[in-house]
Amino acid sequence: MTTPDLDALAALTRDYAAFQTRKSGLATALGGLLAVVLAVGSLSPLFMGARLGHRLLLEYLVWTPLLWLLLKGLLARALYRGAGSVKALPDGAYERRRWFWIFGLAMFLLAVGLSGLYAFARGLLQAGAAHDACVPAPPLWLLAMPPVYLLAMPWAIRGIEEARAYAVLVGQSVLWLLPFFLFYFGAPTPPLKTGWGLLGDLFGVGILVLWYLIMVWGALAMVRGWKEHRDFRKLLGTLP
Amino acid sequence: MTRPNPDPRSILDLDRMVHEPARLAILTVLAAAEEVAFLFLQKVTGLSKGNLSSHTQKLEAAGFLETVKAFQGRIPSTTFRITEEGRAALQAYHRQLRALLPKEGKP
Repeated sequence: MTTPDLDALAALTRDYAAFQTRKSGLATALGGLLAVVLAVGSLSPLFMGARLGHRLLLEYLVWTPLLWLLLKGLLARALYRGAGSVKALPDGAYERRRWFWIFGLAMFLLAVGLSGLYAFARGLLQAGAAHDACVPAPPLWLLAMPPVYLLAMPWAIRGIEEARAYAVLVGQSVLWLLPFFLFYFGAPTPPLKTGWGLLGDLFGVGILVLWYLIMVWGALAMVRGWKEHRDFRKLLGTLP
Repeated sequence: MTRPNPDPRSILDLDRMVHEPARLAILTVLAAAEEVAFLFLQKVTGLSKGNLSSHTQKLEAAGFLETVKAFQGRIPSTTFRITEEGRAALQAYHRQLRALLPKEGKP
């Protein structure tokens, strides 16, 4: 063999390894798309109340995080490990940033969930159909969904690091489900429906801001995922 | 600041285990990751299976890399990781070579 361009070899290895740790390519784009679908759908009672077969569309959407996790694992194996596995060097700065966001998101979801529980306990919310009964109450089996997310995917987990990452994703999925149920199906009790005042307004604005953030994040994720995928195809093209 | 002129004979001191192009490429790839599969190493260096095996065995014998053999399901997989000794040897080689090479703009 001829003397190789050493910098190019090292860069190629690092770029390839990144697709087995922090880059997910098409899975990121898919995650963005699912987030947009959920965000748009959650604002439309007609969409959420729509039926597919004999079931509510919502009953299928509840599976979205698990479906995404499965697809993410499958896409990584099918698209980004064709030239063998490469474990990236630990990147302390990236890990710190990642855990900061994961922790922040978990705390936010926990706060939303706890405030929902508080509202139920005080009678501000009550289980029942939301949106003026446009959407019927959910079947109770949906409330048993969180344990499903605890099912491990042994084929997708290699070593303690991936298991830890999966546990975090599962935890986030569970935390995501709780407020989802509490707020989507927690209708304000009739006497208090208009009595939320400023708190209600703030809650409404907060939800709207969150909705826009999810939309922007989803759009950016789609663009970024597609760009990452194209970069990976280029990278494969440079392999001898 | 000018670099001191190295002894011209110091080129003979280059670590020949690292200096060989195929092994230099292997160590460079391994130094850029924590663990690398045989398949990737073969693809990225363009070496044949036999050639790659021969070079990795020499590097392992020199203590520059470790071989990890495992099974993924029923499929055997071979991965390599560079040792601290191997990383130090590669860095020392880079330093030596840089000192020996002419400065930019000079023949």
